Amino acid sequence: MSQSLSEECTPLKRKYDACFNAWFEGYLEPAVSASASSEQRAKFAQQKATEFENSCGKIWQEYRQCIQKAVKDKGLDVLLEQARQENPLKEPPPPQPLDNPRS
Amino acid sequence: MIVHHVLSIDVVDRSVDPNTGIIRTERILGCKQKAPGWIVRLFGGSEDAYVREVSFVDPATQTATITSVNLSLSQFATCYESIRYTPSPDGRTTFAQTAEIQARVALWRSAADKLENWLVQRFEQNAQLGKLGFTDVLRQLWETREQRTAQQS
Repeated sequence: MSQSLSEECTPLKRKYDACFNAWFEGYLEPAVSASASSEQRAKFAQQKATEFENSCGKIWQEYRQCIQKAVKDKGLDVLLEQARQENPLKEPPPPQPLDNPRS
Repeated sequence: MIVHHVLSIDVVDRSVDPNTGIIRTERILGCKQKAPGWIVRLFGGSEDAYVREVSFVDPATQTATITSVNLSLSQFATCYESIRYTPSPDGRTTFAQTAEIQARVALWRSAADKLENWLVQRFEQNAQLGKLGFTDVLRQLWETREQRTAQQS
């Protein structure tokens, strides 16, 4: 699709993206199945999380190592850390502020 | 990528919540975006602008939320942009977008105002682009899916 911010990491990035996309293909459809109970969904999510780790974990480690270095070399690590501290965004933001669509 | 000013995309963190199934993705986007000449002259900086983007895809509620904030020049001003896609009862998708722009500086007043105005303009120009880009990604994802479903039925 697109390239990495470091040319060196681009091949790893593409491999990782391809791996994620292949996994994601099989993720949405059963996961959104309306008939599934929350219990079934949780079980499915767990199973898929493990599957993701198994199939993409190794390439992710390689890509991550590369990109972490590149981010540091560009001096972005400090800025990223600041942004994370200011707003960790660990949970989806609450719907409230978005309730008034502008468009 | 469809949005032409995005030059690079990198995932720096990703997790799948084993309880909710929500996929959280943190990315760094690199853009070619020229800051106004006077900002570059005053503060330095370069043409490469980097953005932190955190997205959540919740398969249970079929909601996608994307929040982004600039990393470059963030010591002077930040622009938080949030967009959300949710299914609406009529079978369409609701799109909502907000932005919060803040000049961080106690720069002399006029410079801070100028900076804010410039950023608001840039946001208005680019808001449509970002939406188009992501809409396209979603369309591709769902169209292939629908075609397949149609073929099966």
